[in-house]
Amino acid sequence: MANIAIKRVQREFREVIKSEEVLKCKIELVDDTYTRLRGEIAGPPDTPFEGGNYKLDIVIPETYPFNPPKVNFVTKIWHPNISSVTGAICLDILKDQWAAAMTLRTVLLSIQALLSAAEPDDPQDAVVAQTDTCHNIFVPDQTTEFGFMFLKDMTWWPNATPSKDKEYEQKITGLISMGFTKSQSLVALSTHSWNSERAIDSLINS
Amino acid sequence: MAATAHSDVSGNYDEAIMAQVDNIQKEIAENQPLVSEKLEITCLQKNYSMDDFIYQAKIKDLGLNYSHVRKTRGDGNCFYRAFGFAYLEILIGNQLEYDRFKSLALHSKDELVSLGFPSFTIEDFHQVFMETIDAVGKSQSVEELLKTFQDEGLSNYIVVYLRLLTSAQLQKKSEFFENFIEGGRTVQEFRSQEVEPMAKESDQIHIIALTDALGVCVRVVYMDRGGNSVNHHDFPEDGSRPLVNLLYRPGHYDILYQKQL
Repeated sequence: MANIAIKRVQREFREVIKSEEVLKCKIELVDDTYTRLRGEIAGPPDTPFEGGNYKLDIVIPETYPFNPPKVNFVTKIWHPNISSVTGAICLDILKDQWAAAMTLRTVLLSIQALLSAAEPDDPQDAVVAQTDTCHNIFVPDQTTEFGFMFLKDMTWWPNATPSKDKEYEQKITGLISMGFTKSQSLVALSTHSWNSERAIDSLINS
Repeated sequence: MAATAHSDVSGNYDEAIMAQVDNIQKEIAENQPLVSEKLEITCLQKNYSMDDFIYQAKIKDLGLNYSHVRKTRGDGNCFYRAFGFAYLEILIGNQLEYDRFKSLALHSKDELVSLGFPSFTIEDFHQVFMETIDAVGKSQSVEELLKTFQDEGLSNYIVVYLRLLTSAQLQKKSEFFENFIEGGRTVQEFRSQEVEPMAKESDQIHIIALTDALGVCVRVVYMDRGGNSVNHHDFPEDGSRPLVNLLYRPGHYDILYQKQL
């Protein structure tokens, strides 16, 4: 990274640190090179994510600020615009709508906004595959056996009222009893509309 | 800001597309400088097969008025880079125009800030932009200016600043420009989707905005498959003398040099 770009990341870093309280975001260095950062955002109020803290992995590319930082969720999250497997985020400003005048602060605030307003029906990139995942979400809940609370057929927040769904828990237990791991079962079920048969097929065939 | 609905299938697909775009850009970067040396206009003939009669005839036609061309890299930033280089090259040895532009450029940052751009990040771009202009004022040679524009770090900072100026002008005169935006988008959406991100190509609306913002007249010579001769369009179209001449072939801008009579 060019010197001018490193100086800029340092400035951006300090900008976020200064307003951590207001932003409900945190940022810290992984090492002293400013090429890899660790972020954390608080789940926005009145969403199923409220109360959760979500860790982010932030990589500043060599070509910064002409290319966006690469940001992934480290904390598992269920959201139509975030991969539950890789943590990859589908957000325009992290892809082709990144502009060099944007900052880490812009990025963190935009990700927070994405948690408040998912866009499952974005007409630009509507792919049939996602209808499988859009209407099922889970949110962290340490009181359940799996550490997640399952929400079924909900309309998208902020109108959603989270409620526990035993049926999902039973389906996961079923797959685990067949010898699959919790994580495998969760991913397979959620990507197959919680249809146990198809989920098992996919696990056996993969 | 908008999100795109996600599935792991589309996630991998997105990543694959981005990787492919990266590769194509790398290949282009290896084979083409950001701004080339001045080349004889006849070099364009080699870009088309000899039996491509339409283009061969048009290149001859182009040669009646223009002697040289300077090619720019096809990276989506070519309009800004071609304009930036060609205009600053003109300013070498044109003190009157130089003084006017330097003062405009100096004050442009405050204007951007007053329009809501974050001074925090635009500072770097403005700084490199001003350093480049200052160097031109200190009787810098064309070769040195070319070096600046071929240095990706510096060159891209200049491109970003020109994009910001273009975007600001669209905002300033949004009532005028909204009539030209296609697809039912707002001026704000257009700026954040088509102007401010790097590598987004320029259409007439971008040229109108930038030339208007800087008070510089640009002539664009169009060379495509229609008609028998090249035609041109001046921005603005008010009879001003064009200082910069650009060649447009579908999707790409290069710099043209008029024949010295």
